[in-house]
Amino acid sequence: MRKSILIFSAFLSFLIIEQVKAQEKVISGTVTSKGENSMPLPGVNVVVKGTSKGVQTDFDGRYSIEASSGQILEFSYIGFTSITVQVDAITVIDVAMEESLEQLDDVVVTALGIQKSRKSLTYAAQDISAAELTKVKDVNPVNSLSGKIAGVVVNRSASGVGGSVKLTLRGNTSTRDNQPLYVIDGIPLLNNSAIQPNNSFGDIENAGNRDGGDALSLLNPEDIESITVLKGASASALYGSQGSNGVVLITTKKGKAGKFKTSFSSNVTVDQAAYLLDFNDRAQDNVDDFFDVGTTTINAMSISGGTENAQTYFSYTNTFASGVIPTHKVKKHTLNVRETAQLLDNKMKVDASILLSTQSIRNKPISGFYYNPLVGTYAFNSETENLSNYETFEEFNSERNLLAQRWFRATSDIEQNPYWILNRNASDDENQKLLASLSLQYKFNDWLTIQTRGSYDKNFYKFERKIHATTDGTLSAPNGRYLYNDVEDTQLYGDIIAILNADISESFSISANVGTSIRKSDLGKSVLLDSGVRGDLKIPNIFTLSNFVVGTTGVNPILEQRIAEQKEVQSIFASTTLGYNDLLFLDLTARNDWSSTVSDPFFYPSVGLTAMLSEIFELPESITYAKIRASYAEVGNDIQSFVNNPINTIGTGAGGLTPPTILPLTELQPETQRSFEIGTEWKFFNNRLGFDLGYYKTNTIDQFMLIDGGVAADFLAINAGDFENKGIEASITLVPIQNDNVRWDANINFAQNDNEIKELDPRLGRDFLELTPIDVNSYALLIRKGGSFGDIYGRKLRKTPGGLPIRNADGNFTQADPDQNTRGGFDLLGNANPDFALGWNNSITYKNFTLNFLIDAKFGGEVMSLTEAAVDGFGTLNRTGEVRIFDEATNAETTIPAREYYQMIGGRNGLTSEYIYDATNIRLAELSFGYNFKLQDNSFFTSITASIIGRNLFFFYKDAPYDPNISLSTANGLQGIDIFGSPSTQSIGLNVGLSF
Amino acid sequence: MKNISKTILKTAWILSLLFSSCTDDFDSLNTNPNGLTDEQSEADFISIGGPFNPIFLNIYRYDPAWNTQLQHNLNADTFSGYMAPPRPFVGGVNTTNYGFVDFWDQFPWDIPYSSTGVMQNARLVKERGEEDFPLMYALAQILRVEAMHRVTDVYGPIVYSKYGLDATFAEYDSQQEVYNQFFEELDQAINTLSTDPTNGQFAKFDLVYDGDLAQWIKFANTLRLRLAIRVSKVDPAKAQIEGEKSLSDSGGLLETNADNFIIKGGVTHPLTIFNSSWNDVRMNASMESILVGYNDPRIDEMFEISNVSAGMYKGVRGGMPLLDGYTDELDQKADYEIFSRLGDSYILDKAPTTSIQLMTAAEAYFLKAEAALRGWNGAGDAQSNYEMGISISFAQYGLSGNAAVYIADNTSTPIDYIDPVNASNNISALTTTTIAWNNGDDNETKLEKIITQKWIAMFPDGQEAWSEFRRTGYPKIFPVVANNSNGTIDTNIQIRRLPFPASERSTNPQGVAGARVLLNGPDTGGTRLWWDVNSGNF
Repeated sequence: MRKSILIFSAFLSFLIIEQVKAQEKVISGTVTSKGENSMPLPGVNVVVKGTSKGVQTDFDGRYSIEASSGQILEFSYIGFTSITVQVDAITVIDVAMEESLEQLDDVVVTALGIQKSRKSLTYAAQDISAAELTKVKDVNPVNSLSGKIAGVVVNRSASGVGGSVKLTLRGNTSTRDNQPLYVIDGIPLLNNSAIQPNNSFGDIENAGNRDGGDALSLLNPEDIESITVLKGASASALYGSQGSNGVVLITTKKGKAGKFKTSFSSNVTVDQAAYLLDFNDRAQDNVDDFFDVGTTTINAMSISGGTENAQTYFSYTNTFASGVIPTHKVKKHTLNVRETAQLLDNKMKVDASILLSTQSIRNKPISGFYYNPLVGTYAFNSETENLSNYETFEEFNSERNLLAQRWFRATSDIEQNPYWILNRNASDDENQKLLASLSLQYKFNDWLTIQTRGSYDKNFYKFERKIHATTDGTLSAPNGRYLYNDVEDTQLYGDIIAILNADISESFSISANVGTSIRKSDLGKSVLLDSGVRGDLKIPNIFTLSNFVVGTTGVNPILEQRIAEQKEVQSIFASTTLGYNDLLFLDLTARNDWSSTVSDPFFYPSVGLTAMLSEIFELPESITYAKIRASYAEVGNDIQSFVNNPINTIGTGAGGLTPPTILPLTELQPETQRSFEIGTEWKFFNNRLGFDLGYYKTNTIDQFMLIDGGVAADFLAINAGDFENKGIEASITLVPIQNDNVRWDANINFAQNDNEIKELDPRLGRDFLELTPIDVNSYALLIRKGGSFGDIYGRKLRKTPGGLPIRNADGNFTQADPDQNTRGGFDLLGNANPDFALGWNNSITYKNFTLNFLIDAKFGGEVMSLTEAAVDGFGTLNRTGEVRIFDEATNAETTIPAREYYQMIGGRNGLTSEYIYDATNIRLAELSFGYNFKLQDNSFFTSITASIIGRNLFFFYKDAPYDPNISLSTANGLQGIDIFGSPSTQSIGLNVGLSF
Repeated sequence: MKNISKTILKTAWILSLLFSSCTDDFDSLNTNPNGLTDEQSEADFISIGGPFNPIFLNIYRYDPAWNTQLQHNLNADTFSGYMAPPRPFVGGVNTTNYGFVDFWDQFPWDIPYSSTGVMQNARLVKERGEEDFPLMYALAQILRVEAMHRVTDVYGPIVYSKYGLDATFAEYDSQQEVYNQFFEELDQAINTLSTDPTNGQFAKFDLVYDGDLAQWIKFANTLRLRLAIRVSKVDPAKAQIEGEKSLSDSGGLLETNADNFIIKGGVTHPLTIFNSSWNDVRMNASMESILVGYNDPRIDEMFEISNVSAGMYKGVRGGMPLLDGYTDELDQKADYEIFSRLGDSYILDKAPTTSIQLMTAAEAYFLKAEAALRGWNGAGDAQSNYEMGISISFAQYGLSGNAAVYIADNTSTPIDYIDPVNASNNISALTTTTIAWNNGDDNETKLEKIITQKWIAMFPDGQEAWSEFRRTGYPKIFPVVANNSNGTIDTNIQIRRLPFPASERSTNPQGVAGARVLLNGPDTGGTRLWWDVNSGNF
């Protein structure tokens, strides 16, 4: 049924596009600011009143729009008083707009795509325009949010170009998922990663510590019109459980009535591996030799235009990149078609779009020790040879009559020839996304509109790795190994919402929404075919399914179907905003969910209140806007699929049966999150200075958790815990300079978050929860009562009270007071999350030149470099000089060579307290310098821009031996740690844009 | 206004209609399509037979190999004098030299209690089949005893009779209680199997005897004899009763190598991985001293000539620290990984075995030999059992022709150990006992011979070898080079157990507190288990 509606609507919209009303004419003109320093105003919204038709002025303030006589054009621009002009015979209408002394009354997109005036919001919401996102374009648009929005923490994954991204709003609340919900044009986006690593060694089963990619990296940054971030649960309560970590609302571009406009942009960056360990000279030469200079090219094209009744937006973007690790190649194509139409005297609005995206990546970088070329590169410590001698990575083996791996010493599970790995353990990722959505809106009368939307969202993630014979036996069978994994995510979403608006009396207004939605998802539905480490291929180096050795009682090969989540959530919800004289607003929402994962429906409400101080009180003239807000929300969240219904799985041998690994201790109930926030917004001096200050406190209780099941089960599933986040967010907007030639816009964002595990599990004796499990390597990520999310555990070196390392009488450096309550005796060494973050974003315009720079800073928190510890074990670091120690054999202080000391405390299972670093860092995150070409009126082009851009150029301050903003996983595990992750890159490039 | 409220009501009514009946498929949605419900697994008796598969594959875990390394290799396999790691793990302070590594020491515990372990799966067989499939339940009981005696012999008190009663707290049994239950369960199981020994319903699930229940009876009898001998010092009366039951049972004991209890998992033996891929395990110096000293031809099958001393077998001392002169673990490992590897059966590109051997017919004869020394009825003659044990073991390696000369050798003794890389590891042989039986010897000397030969025959099952070493003090294996126990373990007496595992300390603290009381001693590696009596063997 849904399919046929889609097809029908697509037909419909193509028919409509042909209709052009005869009496329309093209109105054009220039919009400038009024006054002595009159300047053209770019980006002014020009709409034909009473229709949805609208355009924006270009960089020189020019616009053109089709309208008929008698219709009214409305010109609106943030910070200026709107102007309306009636169309008559004249076809050129120039307008001079006056700067508004009144407060900004801009419109913000809120939950479910409902637009609200900013002053009525009872919670924090911050938005960012497309220009901000694409100035220094990133293949994954979400990376561009870092530092630009208060309270957003962005960690890019260590898998290079095309990798996924971790975004956290207001701290971590959940042991399951802390990523916000992404919503595109009102419809929840399916953003599930096929796989994220969580093993400090490297995942043998999945052939490496892989980042499976995410849906965000499959979006096209060019399609984004603006992004609004709703940080807290109050804002996102209407999205229900999915919105409990906040919501990122993405508004995409749509066609605008008028002449078809074509834009091209091209972006080339050159990327260099940076912030590497301090190797000794010999090793440094080898490492430098290994890394390539990477390049990224993004070419984007879009066409937009249409009639008063039907508009089209089409875009195509391709991305070609080669990474800093040789043979790493990325190809990505995205295609987007969007049709908007207004029918039945503009009563009916239709909006249909289809997004197609495909990305293929060769040798996507991984972390950990296994299948990772960086281990062999950093470990290469031959005294006589160079790493480049081993670019010839194979040699003929007469015993086997095949080409075998070649390396300067015996290979091991962790150490192989890096060029062998790149060529003979090569991997291919192929990710695709299809997103089709349709929205219909019918306006019955002044106060009632009904809207219905649906989307079909699908991700495909395909992965294969072909491992040739003579790869180490831990990682491969003697004849090689072939792993093929096909993962599909599917989400169907539909909603119907009635939107009601009314002024009840002179002073009171009411707006309300009542709706219902349904979401059905199949996530991580996969087929895994793996000839295995403990199985084999029949014939060496033939990578086909028919070459698998299939035994009857074997543990391997693995031929499996899996599904991570299969559920349906049905909801009804309502929200209402009551306004009093535009001074006070009361916001109420309620939602009830039925989820297939829990047996009972669950209900949750929110309430918020806003007062416009600047309208209630007589304030000094310098204050143009003042508002306070407060809100409280509860959000329910369902649990993981199948946990309430544990069943057996098929065992490995003939007739084998394995009982469920997860057992619910008692029937599981939904989780609850309670959050409270207050805030205030002020603007001064004609909006040249403004700030927004907020405080929030969030408690997540009765959380769904998997804990160590002791002797009862592998894992017990329970509802427990109380995780508290509280913090302060502030943003300041500032225009320090504004005159004829120069305008400097600055934006400072500050966020501080405190997380405390107030309660973990009152019923059981279990003291901790492992986010990254304790194993033989000296790193784990644990949650313990009284601790906080992201606590890093490892082994602590025994030291004197004065801080000197102690060498015992046997000549060893040993562990200090191992914590008997963590298995492995691991001690708390640090926390991966920053104490506070600061972003300072600047845009300076001088005549046709624009300079932008973003300084991004994080203060506090710790990271561990297990890479450095392991490389110390290999002895390739630059460890010169002496280290002062206390020797118990002689009971005296002494010194030993640094090289010897670090080899003794290092290694992957060494004393990692000595590899903990302050994560504080301040960096020049983005820099761009651009020029807008002045064009003649009769020029074919409407605009030409060119800019030089730089990303991640340097650190003003950094303690860690790597870029601490990189994360090995975009899930909860492996935070605050580097284990041979692909190094961060410094990028410089060129950006050219044309439109005509 | 009236219109608005009407509309809201109408909308709500329509919405409520939408929801009246569409949550019907929630139950099927919340069922994993790749799993089996209990009803679905009833076909072909999979629900009863299926749980045996994980039991077989995890008594000695097949996969992943690093689990097995921590389950048996970096503890019992080293403590037993069979093998030793060439690498001084964790900076030279690790479980092999009594510097306990919490993360390692929980694996002997965690595996049997996991979803693929024996406890959960035997319980499922009991729940589903105790009434209707008594034979199957009897087999599960035998396997549970086989698996769990290995666990209680590591830690002492374990969770056994109170298993599964409460998910949040599990009470331990003392080792004596556990052993008494073992004997009861074996009694029941042997009786049940004896009622219908030709029943074939287990055939398709059996990874050892292809469903031949008569063989299972032999195994159960031998297992009971093993356990009886184990408690012969602490509770001689009970031991004799239980032992004589086995000796007199019409089902008999393991007799030929065809009877050996060998799990045919179909996958490479995990020792292969840490022997030939990770190079984390080598021949133990004690093994070299005894096998080379005795000119034992089985050494060619069990080990490889080393690359450190031309043409010679060379073992590694157990419990090495990071020795003087080495900068780090890998540096030292580079010197020791060229010592003798385990033989072809455990080398990836040679002839890796897929069989896990947990009991041999040779052992049955050595058990009978000791039973004879202890005067148990039905044990037969000590000497002939002893010599039969050796012959059967030789036959197992295809060396039958060499057995007679070996058995008659009354001059060869274990040799002194010389470490060609670090002379500080050199140590003199601890015994001058020879191979040939001498009826004039005292029982203690005879027992040393029996246990020494049993030790060679049981290779590579270090868990059982370590238990018998603790019980009898034989064979005379070399002590650890370094002792990091802070005085809790005597270097010469050697390690008696592993401390209660960290997984239990963190998930079941109340249970562990009770277990510590049952232990009758501090929770260290130096405290003797219940059957480990500190006195002479006779």
